[in-house]
Amino acid sequence: MNEAVERLVDLRWPSQVKSAYDVVIIGGGGHGLATAYYLATRHGITNVAVIEKGYIGSGNSGRNTTIIRANYGIPEAVRFYQHSLEMYGRLEQETGRDVMHATKGLLWIAHSEAGVRQERARAEINTAFGSKTEYVDPKTIQDICPQLDMTGQGVWPIYGASYHPSGASARHDRVVWAYAEGAMRLGVHVHQRTAVTGFLRDGDRVVGVETTAGSIAAGVVVSAVGGHVTTLASMVGLRLPIRTHQLQAFVTNRYAQAFGPIVASSGLGVYASQPAKGEMLIGAEIDRAPAYAYDAGHSFLRSCAFRSIALLPFLRDLRVLRQWTGVCDMSADYSPIMGFTGVPNLLVTTGWGTWGFKAIPAGGEQMAELIATGRTPALIAPFALDRFANDRTMADRGSAGTH
Amino acid sequence: MVTDSVLTHLLRRGEYLTDGGALCLGGDCPHCLATVDGVAYVRTCQTPFRQRLSVQAHPAGDLPRLESRGERAPVPARTIHCDVVVIGQGPAGRRAAEEARTDGKHVVTLDSGDGQDAIGIYPGPLVVARTNDSMWQLYPRDEIIVATGAAEIQPVAPGNDLRGLVTARATTVLAAAGVTLGRVVAVGTPPEGVVATSVSGELVRFEPAAADPRRVGAVVLRDSLGTEHSHPCDTVSLGLGLTPRDALLRMARGMNVRGVGDVLLPPDVPPCPLDGTVCPCSGVTVEDLRSVHARGFCELDLVKRATLAGTGPCQGAACVPHIRAFLAAQGADLPTPFTARPVTRQLTLGEVAAGAHHVATPRTALDAEHRALGAHMERLGGWWRPWHYGDVEAEYTAVRTGVSICDVSTLGKMQVSGPDAVALLEHLYPVPISSLATGRSRYVLMLDERGYVADDGLVCRDGDTRFTLTFTSGGSTFAELWVRDWAESLKLDVRVMNQTMSLGAINVTGPRAKELLVRAGVTDPPGFLRHGTATVAGVPCRLFRLSFTGEVSFELHHAAADSVTLWQGLMRLGADLGVRPHGLEALMKLRLEMGHIIVGQDTDFDSTPRRLNHEWAVRLEKPSFVGRAAILRTNKLPLDRQLCMFEMDGNAPAEGATIWLGAEYVGDVTSSTWSPTLGRSVMLGWVRLQPGGNDEPDELPTKVSIDGQHARRVTRRSFDPEGIRARA
Repeated sequence: MNEAVERLVDLRWPSQVKSAYDVVIIGGGGHGLATAYYLATRHGITNVAVIEKGYIGSGNSGRNTTIIRANYGIPEAVRFYQHSLEMYGRLEQETGRDVMHATKGLLWIAHSEAGVRQERARAEINTAFGSKTEYVDPKTIQDICPQLDMTGQGVWPIYGASYHPSGASARHDRVVWAYAEGAMRLGVHVHQRTAVTGFLRDGDRVVGVETTAGSIAAGVVVSAVGGHVTTLASMVGLRLPIRTHQLQAFVTNRYAQAFGPIVASSGLGVYASQPAKGEMLIGAEIDRAPAYAYDAGHSFLRSCAFRSIALLPFLRDLRVLRQWTGVCDMSADYSPIMGFTGVPNLLVTTGWGTWGFKAIPAGGEQMAELIATGRTPALIAPFALDRFANDRTMADRGSAGTH
Repeated sequence: MVTDSVLTHLLRRGEYLTDGGALCLGGDCPHCLATVDGVAYVRTCQTPFRQRLSVQAHPAGDLPRLESRGERAPVPARTIHCDVVVIGQGPAGRRAAEEARTDGKHVVTLDSGDGQDAIGIYPGPLVVARTNDSMWQLYPRDEIIVATGAAEIQPVAPGNDLRGLVTARATTVLAAAGVTLGRVVAVGTPPEGVVATSVSGELVRFEPAAADPRRVGAVVLRDSLGTEHSHPCDTVSLGLGLTPRDALLRMARGMNVRGVGDVLLPPDVPPCPLDGTVCPCSGVTVEDLRSVHARGFCELDLVKRATLAGTGPCQGAACVPHIRAFLAAQGADLPTPFTARPVTRQLTLGEVAAGAHHVATPRTALDAEHRALGAHMERLGGWWRPWHYGDVEAEYTAVRTGVSICDVSTLGKMQVSGPDAVALLEHLYPVPISSLATGRSRYVLMLDERGYVADDGLVCRDGDTRFTLTFTSGGSTFAELWVRDWAESLKLDVRVMNQTMSLGAINVTGPRAKELLVRAGVTDPPGFLRHGTATVAGVPCRLFRLSFTGEVSFELHHAAADSVTLWQGLMRLGADLGVRPHGLEALMKLRLEMGHIIVGQDTDFDSTPRRLNHEWAVRLEKPSFVGRAAILRTNKLPLDRQLCMFEMDGNAPAEGATIWLGAEYVGDVTSSTWSPTLGRSVMLGWVRLQPGGNDEPDELPTKVSIDGQHARRVTRRSFDPEGIRARA
């Protein structure tokens, strides 16, 4: 028996697309499915359809590097991501499904006085808002991760780091499936291979969607798409403060478990971890130029491999298995956008940049509450779209453009 | 004579590196992977054998260790421009290369038999190849020809992990190489040039030999009547069909790429697998496929993700044909294979990193001077800069009581001139420019369209149509783009020259700064916020009188080539004045006593002048400048937080420390230092306004706590509040 084979989840696909639902969620990724799941489990709202143009989890939910952390840089974000991190810790118990959740601890390394200042500040704000992060010295860093080259190849010496012991990871697909199964078990319809081609309008109001499977009327429409949210929003004349950028990553073959923590370096712009299957998973910053393409880049692979070896020399002889690309919706202030759009009956959950995976449980839970009650929950009120018009942006240096 | 591969060499000696499985000798299957020369997952069928090569089987029942051994020479990288790249040198590839050469093309061929493997085709188009001694980046002008041929389909049946299973082509190769095969039974297409007993029927299972349970002893097939027939053998040759090695072709879709030969074959679809291991890399069985399919994982990609089939070292070469057949048998359309991604042939991180290097951090012309003086150098704002010279207190004291010099060459420095220079700067800056007299300077904020502070610096008027602008060290690259972009979009007639790299700058500061300059030959130092030219210690300089430290300061801009002469001259001439250089740590202390902000450290992405308490640097009566409309709009919204100055007794808290009003978080510290002059700590920090109560407007808290200590907000700095010292 192969332990990696998913043996628990039972996906019960709907037999047909209904002509109307109370709620239509566009996008069958983590956020869309978690929203549907919490609508059904917490609020008893099950006349819900999730519309997915590919297969569930085929977008960024299945392309991210599965890092769960709450060590952000502003109070509102620390609170939100800490809540999400705690929900992840309970997710297996709640859904009864194995999402391969593992607490690993995350080191964010500083290579300069300016970096030290930043990591100390991260520890301060995290601690103040209930997330565990402490500043650690080089000796402690070595204890946590003996494989680090403390001289950074003689070029990027390690001065210190912030250590976030609750940093974790989970298997991205299994998170998607746990939510999909739970939602469908309670009657939510998830329609794969169905693309939204337009919106049904009644005056200003959105009253449904046009899809490749026909028109679907809806009480509320929620956009939970990633990568093409601006295209979708433009169908109703809505402009979002979002640019889409590529984010690339690569993995090696599988090796025996020997690398415990998640290690990130802002100076070198790389991060690395060893998920449960044993591969080394390595990523970098978003590509600066906006793009929708999924092309993999050689300069990324070469440069990222080089930089990661400078930090972790043992990587040198590992075999590169595969590289891939996701496209990230980056908001103007590096924080998510959740809630009302100004277009009646159309909600968004977007701006998930490089931090979408870690936000799936809290994002889904809070969006479900908003849909069910019609009121924005306090936890996500700071992330409303109108913050841009109101000059209340959530500028967050702690969110970086990496992981 | 053809060199043996490691695999052939070992097989000839009857040695095996792996449990078994149908060997393909084509670099497709995962059955010959081993650790070679310290690198795990090497295809031994593609590795030329040589003496003293270390070859080890992967650990039994476990994954290879996560490690690299010893030192290894860096892998060289080559960039090759050519007309045509031909990937694969089988008959079709050789013919294609020959035709292109006949047409006069410069052709580069990649022959996997010679250790040259294309690992990916990237936009460009760029072909990246690994060879036995270097990495190649190939840029073909005309086209890429993919002639990678086809792989043989692996058997799926119980016992398919036994030794002695060989694909039909591999059987031919092994026989020719003199490997003892014993009795060969051929299933499907028989091997060429090998004596074999051909058998037919549906493949049921492979049975182990009595003498060696790890080796095949018989193959069992079922005839059309359902009767099983066991065929004793030592080797089973498996000619089960071909599937094109078209990953490179699919990856390069939309580029100028064409396939030739077997890579264009329609893939053979094997019969639906009934039992046994489908994906040898991840250990996925037919039972696993049935299990996930029954539970809703019906798409190829979902099957892959649910079982991890196809995610191992062979990247689906072994399993995908069978999974497609399986899904088709469940009633689906025959699915297309999943997306092809680099790398198509594996290589190490060390190899793929070939040719990369660290991005250099620039050094000023005075870098060697700083290091000779024992400076601790730091990366900051994109430069190497002196953090301190070993005694921050003495550096501080020199500035406050005597004279000190500081390398500020990293400042952004720009000349803007031309008929429309005034018009451009009036548009870019929120203060009047046309009224600035020649020879005068002004502190300026640079705002973006949202009214947020992007940078700060000086505007210095050199003439009617000529200005010198300065920017922060980290901001100069953006500033140049910003200035040029606006000049271009406003269609203004200006010349812009970024002199950040070509000019050095040394700040001479302290109560005795003038004295030092006079000694250095400056007869008439400019007054506060004025500038002029002079020869200083023999070096032609422009002198800008300003103050960031709070003391009399002259910024000496000069050709970077003269920096060392000027620096050494000032050090020599000021020796008896106690001149010493100060680093950034002292500078941070000095400027913080003055309450001066540093853009990037004290500001945030959304810092309006109002939030920064810098409304004095914005003249809204100016009819138009970048950011004006946004500021007019946001000024109507209630202020939410502001950057304020704080003082407290006791040690300075960490920068980033949180600020509390009772039990409520109200902000955080952005800059913090102990002030030796004041005998207490001074800070800048963001604070949220608090409800005023009784319909009073929101207000800033006055008494707060930081690090559990009392701190008070000050509206006016305690150190030289009138700024008399700087103007002296």
